[in-house]
Amino acid sequence: MSTWGSRGNLSAKPGRDGRYPILTVENLSAWYGELRALQGISFSANAGEVVSVIGANGAGKSTLLRAMTGMMNLGKRAHIEGRIECQGRRLDRLRTEKIIEGGVTMVPEGRMLFSRMSVEENLLVGAHIPRARDGIKDRLAGIFEFFPRLAERRTQSVSQMSGGEQQMVAIGRALMSDPAVILFDELSLGLAPIIVDDIYDKVRQINERGVTCLVIEQDMRRALEVANHVLVMLEGDIVLDGSPDDLSREEITNAYFGTRPEGVA
Amino acid sequence: MAGLSFEEQVYWTLIDLANALLTGTFIGGYYAILSIGLALSFGVMRLVNLAHGEFLIVGAYISAVILQVVNIPPFFVLFIVVPIMFGIGYGLQRFLLNRVSVQAMERRGMSANFGLMAPILVTFGLSIFISHGLLAIFASDAMSINNSLAFSAIRITSDLSVSTLRFIFFLFAIVLLIALFLFLRHSATGRAIRATSDNPTYATLMGINTEHVFAVALGISLAIGGVAGFMIGMTRTFQPFDGPQFILIAFGVVIIGGMNSIVGSLVGGVLLGIVQVLAGTYFGPSAQLVGGYMLVLAVLAFFREGLFSR
Repeated sequence: MSTWGSRGNLSAKPGRDGRYPILTVENLSAWYGELRALQGISFSANAGEVVSVIGANGAGKSTLLRAMTGMMNLGKRAHIEGRIECQGRRLDRLRTEKIIEGGVTMVPEGRMLFSRMSVEENLLVGAHIPRARDGIKDRLAGIFEFFPRLAERRTQSVSQMSGGEQQMVAIGRALMSDPAVILFDELSLGLAPIIVDDIYDKVRQINERGVTCLVIEQDMRRALEVANHVLVMLEGDIVLDGSPDDLSREEITNAYFGTRPEGVA
Repeated sequence: MAGLSFEEQVYWTLIDLANALLTGTFIGGYYAILSIGLALSFGVMRLVNLAHGEFLIVGAYISAVILQVVNIPPFFVLFIVVPIMFGIGYGLQRFLLNRVSVQAMERRGMSANFGLMAPILVTFGLSIFISHGLLAIFASDAMSINNSLAFSAIRITSDLSVSTLRFIFFLFAIVLLIALFLFLRHSATGRAIRATSDNPTYATLMGINTEHVFAVALGISLAIGGVAGFMIGMTRTFQPFDGPQFILIAFGVVIIGGMNSIVGSLVGGVLLGIVQVLAGTYFGPSAQLVGGYMLVLAVLAFFREGLFSR
């Protein structure tokens, strides 16, 4: 079987409360120039969880992902403050390649594949970090076993593939770095519902292999179906944080549309 | 061709044509090596390196100086020149051009147009700095690399021959371009260069250090430029201010072949070489450059991104 999906289980250590936080965000703020896009948010994700982050357009979901992958540190105009840790390692001051090396990777919105490269080449680029180069052939074979469609099209240019197939390549490429945490950004965007079902089924399977998943999704129903931990964002803040089993649909909907629940400032 | 029979006239016409085609083709390999570095730096970094010609001349001077100091067969100098030129390219990109790259300018919130202009201005300044630096060190005396092959020819038939050096350089070009193609296709660094060329932001998200990749790409570009400089020194004399004539050739080749194509560089070089030699053969030496640039204009008119652009 493939070699990916082992890091989440192996690396997790119990936190002070006896649970297994793999990812911790503390008092995280993000600015685009003068505009504060994240308002000092805090949350943690336990090893093996699927955390769904939901919120309307402009709620700060994508900024959160950019902050977590070092993409907010690239210029003077955009910057972050606060603390992000994965497996006890501080990530918020690191460059993106060091964050990926540290076990956090991302399936970006719109797939962002390398359009002039084949399926196999895109997957191999996903294993560029030094840590992922050991066992690269086994991992590639594992990805082709997980997505048989990609094995059939391994030499095909990704620009000639359907949106669903491209999403498989994007997920496979993320898995090639042997991550502990994958950040999924708007997986359902531009895909037919039946394809989205398949893609989310794959997310569940990836999670079952021990990879912690953080899913950003505008489709609230999908996000709640796949999650065992929900964060609702509004205007750059987390207004609701809990298990979907403990939260009512009404609470989530109110938070999503801006009616803050009692007790939240 | 007065006094010749009709058959002899046809024979000599065909010999002239064959000589022109052969010479043009073999010059094309040399032109490809002059140009591939320029195509690589544009393809990966969107860098229009206006100092490319001066770097070729730097390669020629380094080759000539080493061969004056060390008594080795001329071709062995490449084992020294190529790493030196790679180091110059890597350092230049890492410590200077990355600070003014298109990507760096965009990160500072500058427009894409300004992002393209800044590196052009910096490399233009570099070209002036390099040529005057060479003048200060070597004066304006013409230099060349002495070698026994400069006037040697391979005779194919009694009336058809090709310069030995041009033939060797053509083989060099084929081997070098195949090696570059395999490197970009099958090595992790080569894939990282292609991914970065495709989209630097996506490449960063894959854990690729794009600043390092850019530096490696300019290192390779100038390393190949070092080979080209050696070829220049072997085939002709050179002076500190000779850079611009080579960048004109390189631009011509890259425009014909396409900005990001290795095969395009070879085909562009061969086409430019053939057209120049044919123009020179039939319309006199002064028509060589004009003929070449008419081809460039024709390609621009019908294939605006070059014959092999993707």
